[in-house]
Formats: sequence, C-alpha cells, structure tokens
Amino acid sequence: MTLTDTPPARVPTAVGKPILEARGVTMRFGGLTAVKDVDMTVNEGEIVGLIGPNGAGKTTFFNCLTGLYKPTEGQVTLSGDVLPPKPRAVVVAGMARTFQNIRLFANMTALENVMVGRYCRTSSMALTSILRGPKFRREEEATRARAQELLDFVGLGGSTESLARNMPYGDQRRLEIARALATDPKLILLDEPTAGMNPQETKQASDLIFRIRDSGLAVVVIEHDMRFIFNLCDRVLCLVRGEVLVEGTPGEVQSDPRVIEAYIGGGDDDDEDEGPATTKETL
Amino acid sequence: MTDFLQQIVNGLTIGSLYALIAVGYTVVYGIVQLINFAHGEVFMIGAFGALATWTVLFKGQTGLWVLPVMVLGAVLVSVLTAVVMERIAYRPLRGAPRLAPLITAIGISVFLQEAVRLFYPGAKSKLVFPEIDVVTGTALSIGGLSIQRAAVFTVGALVLSAALLWYFVNRTRLGQGMQAVSQDPDTAQLMGINVNRIIVIAFAVGAALAALAGVAQGLLNSNIDFRMGFLAGLKAFTAAVLGGIGNIQGAVVGGLTLGIAESMATQFIPGQFGGSAWKDVWAFVLLILVLVFRPQGLLGARVVDRA
Amino acid sequence: MSTSTTDLTHGHDDDAVKVPLLERIPGRGSAAAWPLGLAGVLILVGGTFLSWSYTSDVLGDLSVDFYPNGVQICMIALGVAALLFLLAHRGPLHRFGEWLDTAAAVRVLGLGAVAYMVITLGIIAYQSGGLVNINPGGWISLLGALLLAASGLMLVSRQHRDPLFAKTSSWLEISTIVVLMALVLFGAAYALDIGDGGSFLLFLLFVSAVALALTRAGAFTWVGLIAQKNRPVLMLGAFAVAFLFPFTQGGSDENMSIATQVLIFAATALGLNIVVGLAGLLDLGYIAFLGAGAYVGAVLSASAFATIDWKPPFIVVVLVGALFSAMLGLIIGSPTLRVSGDYLAIVTLAFGEIFRFTMGNLDGSNGPDITNGPNGIPAIPDLAIGSFDFGQPHTIAGITLGRFANYYFLLLLIAAIIILVFTRLNNSRIGRGWVAIREDEKAAEAMGVNVFGLKLFAFAGGAFLAGMAGTVKAHHDVSVTPDQYIFLESAFLLAAIVLGGMGTVAGVIVGATILKLLPEKLRFIADYRLLIFGLVLVLMMRFRPEGLIASHRRKLEFHEDDEELAQRIEAVHLEETEVKA
Repeated sequence: MTLTDTPPARVPTAVGKPILEARGVTMRFGGLTAVKDVDMTVNEGEIVGLIGPNGAGKTTFFNCLTGLYKPTEGQVTLSGDVLPPKPRAVVVAGMARTFQNIRLFANMTALENVMVGRYCRTSSMALTSILRGPKFRREEEATRARAQELLDFVGLGGSTESLARNMPYGDQRRLEIARALATDPKLILLDEPTAGMNPQETKQASDLIFRIRDSGLAVVVIEHDMRFIFNLCDRVLCLVRGEVLVEGTPGEVQSDPRVIEAYIGGGDDDDEDEGPATTKETL
Repeated sequence: MTDFLQQIVNGLTIGSLYALIAVGYTVVYGIVQLINFAHGEVFMIGAFGALATWTVLFKGQTGLWVLPVMVLGAVLVSVLTAVVMERIAYRPLRGAPRLAPLITAIGISVFLQEAVRLFYPGAKSKLVFPEIDVVTGTALSIGGLSIQRAAVFTVGALVLSAALLWYFVNRTRLGQGMQAVSQDPDTAQLMGINVNRIIVIAFAVGAALAALAGVAQGLLNSNIDFRMGFLAGLKAFTAAVLGGIGNIQGAVVGGLTLGIAESMATQFIPGQFGGSAWKDVWAFVLLILVLVFRPQGLLGARVVDRA
Repeated sequence: MSTSTTDLTHGHDDDAVKVPLLERIPGRGSAAAWPLGLAGVLILVGGTFLSWSYTSDVLGDLSVDFYPNGVQICMIALGVAALLFLLAHRGPLHRFGEWLDTAAAVRVLGLGAVAYMVITLGIIAYQSGGLVNINPGGWISLLGALLLAASGLMLVSRQHRDPLFAKTSSWLEISTIVVLMALVLFGAAYALDIGDGGSFLLFLLFVSAVALALTRAGAFTWVGLIAQKNRPVLMLGAFAVAFLFPFTQGGSDENMSIATQVLIFAATALGLNIVVGLAGLLDLGYIAFLGAGAYVGAVLSASAFATIDWKPPFIVVVLVGALFSAMLGLIIGSPTLRVSGDYLAIVTLAFGEIFRFTMGNLDGSNGPDITNGPNGIPAIPDLAIGSFDFGQPHTIAGITLGRFANYYFLLLLIAAIIILVFTRLNNSRIGRGWVAIREDEKAAEAMGVNVFGLKLFAFAGGAFLAGMAGTVKAHHDVSVTPDQYIFLESAFLLAAIVLGGMGTVAGVIVGATILKLLPEKLRFIADYRLLIFGLVLVLMMRFRPEGLIASHRRKLEFHEDDEELAQRIEAVHLEETEVKA
C-alpha cells in the first residue's frame, strides 16, 4: 500500500495513525459467504472508498463494521479498541454511519433528527428532565445549538424546522450526514451518499465530504459512481464477490485490468444512479 | 408411573387443542406479521357455531352422524368470521404502523365476545354442549389409564388436520403460493400471486382448524362459554411462540409441548404452587422463559426480517 | 358574495370530495341564503320559548311556555352560535368572515340542529305515545333548524385567509382561553347533573355539533396556536377548572363519586399513554400494575383483613406500591422488550392474567395467605393524612366537600404529577429518543439511542405511575378484589387513549371522560358498553387512528402517504415555533 503516486491535489492534509482496522472480517449467511476475509485500514484524516459491483458485499461489510451484523470471523478495532457487534456501542466508540436507503426519522423536523444524534453524547435522565434543573436547560440548549451548527455545516441551516419527510431528496441525504456527525464520530461511514443525485448535487456532496475530512474526521464511502469516488478518495478498495480484489490509490485501482473486467460493460462515467443496474448485467 | 403416563395423556389432549388453535396464529403471522389477537374468539365462535347447528337441525339427537355436520357448521361460521374481519378490519390497515392492527385486533376480540354474549340466546352463562355417541360418554380405560373419548377425537382431529395441512402447504399450488408470500410478499406479487387471496386463505385455514378445536373443546368440557376464547387464544399463542412463530410444524410441536408441560406442572410441582390453580400461571411463565432464552422457539421462527 | 370566485383555498382533506356535491345544491350562492339563515335562527330560538311537549314527564319538562328547560336552552345556545357565524359572514362581524369558513360552520350547526330536533321530537313522540303529543313549539324549532340547515348549504364561504396566520392581541387570546375554560367547567358540571339518558345524549349531540362547527370553520386552528403560545395560562386554567369543579357540586356525593372515578381512570390512562403514546409500546396488562399498587395499598392499610402487619404512613405506602409495580414492570419488560414489539402485547396480556390468577391463589390454601384469594381485602379504611380524614366531609368557604371530593383533590394531585411527567419527558432528550424508536428502531439504535433502556424505562415508569394511583384507588374503592383487574379494564384504558388521542394529555382526558361518563349517564347502553368499546377501537383505527385530539406527530405517523397533511402540519409547526419565540 503506497500513497506515493497520489497526485498532489489528493494528498490528505495529514494522514495520521490508523483509526479503524478491520482484520479478516468474514460474514457467512448459512452456506453463502457474503464477505470473505476482508482487511481494511483507515487512517486519521483519510477518505477511503469502497467500490465493487452490485452484490459484492459492500453493504454487508459496512454492517459488520457498524455492529448491525456480528461477523462470523475477524474483528474490528477503532483506535485500538475492539468493537463489540452492537450498533450503539459502535456509535459510542466513535463511528457513525448513513444508510443506503435513507433512514431518517421522517416525522421529526430536521433539527430534531440531528438532536437525536446527540443522544449518546448527552446524559439528562428522567429526573433531571422532569424537574428541569439548570443542568437540563444547559444541556438542552447546547444540544440545540450543536444541532443547528451541524445543519449549517451541511448547508441545511434554513430548513431547521422542516419535517424530514417534506425535504427534497438531496437535502435528506445531507440531513442524514448531519445526524451522523452529531454523534461526534472519529470516523464516518457513508453508504452511497450520492445515489439518485444529479451532477450538481454530487459535486456538493463531494465538497461536503472534503469539508468533513478537513474537520479532522476519517471517512469511508461506498459508491457506484466511479468518477465521484476516484476524485474524492485517498485510497480505494475494490470488493468483488466478498473479497478484496484490489487496494490502492485511485490511479492504481482505476487502471487495474481486473477492476475493469469486474465492471465490464458498466460505464464508469455515466452511471450516476444506475450503477447497480448496469453492473448487474455483468455479473 | 401411571400418574406420569396419565399426565402425558392429559397433556396431549389439551396440547392438541392448543396446537389446532396455534396453527391459526402462526399461519397468519408467517404471512402478514400480524398477531391476530382475535383468533381465540374465532375458536369460541366455532364452538358456538357447532352448538347452533345442533340446536337448529338436530336438537335432542346424539348419533355420531350429527358430528360431521356440526363440524361443518362450526367451520363455516368461523371461516366467515375470520374472512370478514380480515376484509373489513385488517386489510385497510396494511402498511399502517404496527400498533394499529394490534389495537384493531383487541377491538375485534372484545366485540366478538360481547356480540356472542349479548346476541346468542342464553350465552350470558355457560351453555351445555350436546353429548354425541362414541365421542363422549364413559372414559376409555387402557392399562390403568383413563382416556376421555373426546380426547381421542381431539388428538385424531389434530393428526388429520396436520396431515391435510402438510399436503396443502407443500403439494398444492395455493400452498406454495402461501410459502412464497411469506418469504417475500412484494416479489410474490410481481410473480403474479394474488397476495390478498393468499392472506384470506391463511385466515380461513386458521379459522377452520380453530373451529375444529372449538368442537373438540365443547365435547371435552361438555359446556361452552363466550369467554373461552380468551385464555385458549393466549395459550395457543404461547404454543405458537414456543414452537417458533411462523412455523407450522412448530405450532403443533409447541402446542403439544405446552399441553404436556402444563399437565406435568399440575402433577409434579410440589407444595402449594402445584395443582391446577397455578397451571395457567406456569404456562405463561414458560412463555416468558422462552422469550428470554429462545425467542426463535423450539423449531425456529420462520419470519423474514423485513425491516 | 354571490359569485363563486370567492370560494377557495381550503386545504381541508374531505372538502375536495364534498365541494362538487355542494355545488349542485339549488340556490347555492343566492342572496337569499343569508336572510334565510337569520330567519332560521329566529324561528329556532323563538320555538324554544314555547312548549315542545304536551306531557310534562319527557326529557325533564318541555311543556311550559316561556320557560325553556335544559334541552331547549341548548338550542338557544346553538342558535346564538349560528347567529354569530352568520353575522361574521355578512354584517357587523364580517371581519372574521375572511378568516373563518362561516358557511361550513352554519352548515354544521344547521344540520346538527335538525338532527337534535328530530331526535328530541322522536323521543317525545315515543315516550308519550305519538306525534300528537308534540306541541307547536317543537315543530316551530324544527322548522327553524331546517331553514338554518338550508341556509348553511346555500352559503358560499368567504374565507380567503388562513386562521393560522391571524395576528391577535394577547388579551383576546387569554380571554378566549378563559371563556373556553369556563365553558368546559360549566358544561361538565351541567352534564353531570343531567338525570336522564335522553337529555344527556342530546347534550352530547349539541356539544359535538358546536365543536365540529368550530373545527370546520377553522377556529380550532387558531385556538391550537394560541394554546401553544399561552401554554402556562392554559395549564393553570385547566387546573383551576378541575380544582373548582367540586365547589360547583354543592356537596353532592353522587356526582363527585363519578368525577373521582373519571379521574382515577384518566390518571391511569395518562400513565398508559406514556407507554403507548410516547414510547409506542402496546401494554395490555396495564391494569395489573394499577392492581399491584392497589394490593400494596390494601395489605399495608389498617383493614382488619390486611395480611401484613406493617402500617407505614400513607406516603410510604404510595412509594412502596409504585416501586413494587415498577419492579414487576422490570421483571416483565426486561425479557420481552428485547424481542419484537408484537410479543410485548401478548406477554403483557399474559402478565395481566398471571397477576389476576396469582392474586386469586394467594389465599392460604393454594399459596401463602397474602390477598385472601377471590374475596379480596375488604373494609379498607379511609385515608387519613395528618389530621385530615378523607372519610369526613369538610367545609370550605361555606361549601361542604364530601368524602369523594377529598379523594378528588388527592387524585387531582396525582393526575397533575402524571401530566407533569408526561409533558416534560415528551419534550426532552428521552422523549426524542422515544419518537426516534417509534419512527425507525434500527436507525435509532444505529444513531446511538439506547433503544432497550428507553423502552424499559417507559414500561417500568408507566408501571410506577399506575402503582402510585393504585394505592389511592384501594382506599377510594374500600375493597380490592382480583376481578377488578381483568383484561377488559386494560382494553378499556386503551380505548380511552385511542379515542382521545395517542400522545396527547387533553385527548386522553377527553377519551377517559367520555368512556366513563357515557355508561354512567346512559344506563340503557350499560350492557352494550364493551361491545361499543370494541367497535370504537376498530372504527377509530380505521378512520381516525390518531384520535379525536391528535398529536401532530401521531397524525403524521398514521398517514404516511398524505403529503398535503405533512405540508400543513409543517406550516402549523413553523407558525408555532415563531409565536413561541
């Protein structure tokens, strides 16, 4: 794994020590092995891309990382601590995610959605909430302020009181990111953040991801849109049939004949939101 | 030893009853993920249907030939009730939050109980169920064991229905359609399966077996009561969970296990907490224990997580 | 006004269907509609001053000229309401006509009046043996009602502004709240005093007609907004009303007995509403937690049948009862809350049965003697806190307050505590967590919400509150037996929530009041009450799952596909946020 070939523009501001380390992650469902012996390292301040044709096991791997699935074999460590396979413990440890099919709290406002993200970083319990002491007020105020700040950060400062379900699609994606950021993660996992977006929105999304990285977080992105991912990432893993096929800089992965073969017929330029459909044909 | 065997016999009898009702919970849950809480009332209505058939057509007669007609009457009334409730109460709520169908189910349950209590002549107190030759009367005595004649009918009804149900689910087009819908209703719909029809059939199949159980209960206890569906329904649900909800074999196994466990508790738990006064309590404690230690049930739940 | 260009702009869901039908009404939009309405009001009210019935023993006494009784006064009140809307449509109050759908209000009032008159005359004819016994006054009022209804159907709405954006001065808002509160107090006192079922039913019809008219006119949009804005005033007012209520009863224990029952029921339902309405957990054994509290209250009381020889002060009993209930809640909740939510419903149901069986069995022969089995614990003495004996009447400001009034005040305090817990939790970190869980449990977990912990907390917390209410109930009821705590009582509590509105305080109070008061007042339906409740549950889930007084969020959850509703609720929410700021 070398980063030396990376064009200067993509050199991360500061690549620090490894933050997330997945070792030998294997996930079997009955007889089917969806993810097989996958290693992945993410360093501080790095954007790592995860690509691969539909059904390659990307989302399953994500679910193993975030504790939604308990991997059959292998382990995941965050800043050196082994993560238990419990989604909440993973969030508390400092890794947050978004979902491929947006899973916002549809009937809450944008602000409330983000405030829910603050849940695990706040502590007001029943009695404090009922008695409304100064601690409660302070914490509630801080939660609100932080949520508003995050909405501003993702560019939704004007839609604070909108119901999530009334928001345009692109805004919903950004709101999900704000909600994940509210958990104060060290690392954020984005599952197809540009699915269904037009080129302009995609551009905004990659700006946003750069800004998240610049604020000191590591980012892992699953994406079908090759152009998007090669412009964005410091390093790319290509997953095929549950195994890592290639790992390297965008340049290396892009030119690797095996990757091209895996994606044959699937144009990596024009598949904004039909990546899955085109790649399916090749499988 | 005789005590033990006797309790096995008693357990199998009551267990068969639970199993017959439990199938209805499990079939419906397997397909629409709905706990049809009112299913116990469908069982109760089956018993009243049988009684009504007898009262109207055969009052005073005790010949065995009357029984099939009574069963038919019971099945008709139960199936009709189940199908109507699916159509007017549950179907409009598909896709609504989970709370809605559950609350509806409770409403239906209360409504059906009260409707029978208020409108079935004399149903405000217990009603005597007719004696039928061969299946009621002096208990059979085999090797020191006393076996109620109605118990033979109950177990026989379970065996027969289980065989028919197995054939229906595995060997007929409709049954396979049912399996497909329980795996993935959307795809099944795309493949041209009429999902609504399958759901109605699931309700109807469950209701038919519950009706059979209703007749069996009447024969066993020689009286019926508008409240009988509540506890029986709860027990049957326990049986369904015990066996693994959504799993038809599981419902049968769960029902028999629950029945035997209950009988054994009556006989073998020593001291004041044994005896029949506590048997219902032990049954529900078993339900809670199953949920703690093996929520998927004995044979494993067949419910796809569609979150 | 006679052109239809002014007819527009309501986002009301069902009007889209109704307008074409309305359009076809002959004479619609004609200039005659308004005078017709005025005439209708005059004739309707005029008729009430004449005798309606030949015999004097129907619906109170309707046979005296120039001396309207309660049934007739309702029509006078309805006439006045219709007059106000007519004058808002055209005339001195026409400023309001821009903001309110006056035509719809007049329509509802007119149709309501017709229904009211038809039922009244029907009852007179039925009870006194024929239509001949209806006196001219009755026919005159019916004619007035028909004219009013016709006018309402012909009028075309002038509303072109949304009452949501009405800017009103705060004195108007506060006086509106005060007037509404006073009306509620007066109405409740009046309703409790009604002796016969017929009059009660008519009063209910009258109240529904007026409420529906105000809803249709859009007045409640504004009322809801000012209620948000003046929340403290509203809460204070509501408690003042509830507090003053016993003083309106002149020491009558009969009505106060009903009122305390309503209050016990409402307080318990409010506790259940935390579990069902906020956390979204269906608890079908809730009555058992009330029962657990009641049994604790009973065995620790000074009753000669109490089985435990420890007689702590009542405040300790309350705490023990509440904690005992909460502990049961933890025992039941911790295994079941981890598995699918559907199981919880059944397990709580089973728990309710376990509780009942156990209480029936702990009689000394099937188990240790704690509860006296099916006979229960009778002769529980009245509470005495300090030197205040709840069994004795007390006189305050010249008004005698009997035994039930004493309990009423204590229960009011408990209800207040439950309401406080409810509203404050709802509006906190915990409340947001509950909403998130209701919305998408997996996403909530993946965002760091402690799903299991919050569910368990709601479940055990609800049990705690029920246990607290139970200890008081034991003393209020004098005896505690297992058959007071059957499943149907849990279903009954649930019905109050479903009818009133999941997740709202006002809704549950309304639901509890309706469900308790109706069988008390309508004795002829007493035997059918459970049948009707069953039906209410089914129909509500089908047609108005969010309940009569709905919380915005619940409404959204139950109408996932209704885009228009979502937009509207967002607009209301934005406006509320603005006025509160």
